[in-house]
Amino acid sequence: MTDRRTGEPVKVRFWGTRGTLPVAVTARQVRAKIANALRIAQGQSFASDAEAYGFIDSEIDFAAGATYGGATSCVEIDAGEDAFFICDMGSGLQELGRDAAVRCRGGRPKKYNFFLSHMHWDHIMGFPSFLPASDYDSEIVIYACHRDAEEALRRQQEQISFPSAFKFWDAKIRFEILEPAEETDVDGLQVTAIRQHHPHDSFGYRFRNAAGRTVVYSTDSEHKVDDMDSEASFVEFFRGADLVICDTMYSLADSNSTKEDWGHSSNLVAIDLCHQANARRLALFHHDPFQDDEEIQRMHEDSLRYEKLSRDGAPLEVLCAYDGLEVSL
Amino acid sequence: MEVSYVPVGEALIVAPVGRVDEATWEEFGTHLSRGIDQASKESRDTMVIDLSRIEYMSSRGLRVLTLAKQLARAAGVSIRLALPTDVMREILAISRYDKLFPVDRELPAGSAK
Repeated sequence: MTDRRTGEPVKVRFWGTRGTLPVAVTARQVRAKIANALRIAQGQSFASDAEAYGFIDSEIDFAAGATYGGATSCVEIDAGEDAFFICDMGSGLQELGRDAAVRCRGGRPKKYNFFLSHMHWDHIMGFPSFLPASDYDSEIVIYACHRDAEEALRRQQEQISFPSAFKFWDAKIRFEILEPAEETDVDGLQVTAIRQHHPHDSFGYRFRNAAGRTVVYSTDSEHKVDDMDSEASFVEFFRGADLVICDTMYSLADSNSTKEDWGHSSNLVAIDLCHQANARRLALFHHDPFQDDEEIQRMHEDSLRYEKLSRDGAPLEVLCAYDGLEVSL
Repeated sequence: MEVSYVPVGEALIVAPVGRVDEATWEEFGTHLSRGIDQASKESRDTMVIDLSRIEYMSSRGLRVLTLAKQLARAAGVSIRLALPTDVMREILAISRYDKLFPVDRELPAGSAK
């Protein structure tokens, strides 16, 4: 998948990767990371930022030297087709909006295509802080499979929840309803949706460009323990994808016991589905807000090990999404 | 899938052999259901799943264990896992299934070695 204009690889950018509720690293946690790094450095000095970053990359693991972040679901597919493609409007959208405004100063069209998995709070809360919505020149199209998507977005900006009403946005905004399983051309990308098990339903999206490169966004999707036969449709939906972004919020045990019917999935089910579908990469996504960086990193390490144990063909690259991750396809 | 069912005291030991994956999970589930049914009919309060000859179990196999647990609870039978291989012990830990099921290092007293 390359940009038609520049020939550069298309990028998937993760602006928000947390589930349910935004979280932030506390001052105490930052100090602990710094203290740990200083202990590991043992008095070494670094002549430049590059040397310091080299030390961080080689000597300190991700959880200790960085953070997975805490903004809620928002993923950009930069397909280089002029328009923006954005999955969900979680709190990560605020930062994307700021960045997009800068990019548009360079002449990029102010066309924003959103794809809503569903309208739970953590997936729409970023829209009231989306700067391009205040721009008269912006065109915003919100694609959803839920017929009540518009109602949900207007409702979250009623005065009881937010000071400025949805009707006061300056941008041209319209809603488009998509039907699951029907492929739709949106500004050069072919988009297909699938219904997922989640309270009030959620929908996954499959994006394919003219060259056949494919990204699947499948969050807030529970794969029910007593309905495993229906997983064949997800295997087909993920089939051959270059990147599958999957809800892996809970352990398999939790998703089948204490968290059953909460509408989320696990790293093991995501890996098995991707293996069956011969997908190339999996991004673990929608991290539990109760987990800190070390716990998420352990989940990633466990996932890498399970991928190896369960592999019966080509390897599946398993990434752990974090706020700021950019994946080139 | 080869499976044996051996009663030992208050327990029924169910011992499957092979891989539990996308090809065999339904058969595995059928065997567990049969074991629960037998344990219940023979008034045994425990079904022990001997994992010593299970090479590997996918998420579907693990979820079959969850379904078996639900079925067993309704039949008044509790399920225990026993003798996982190193790979199975790892899979139980990664999936956190070692928190859902008791995992024993040996079979009940009186079992054939």
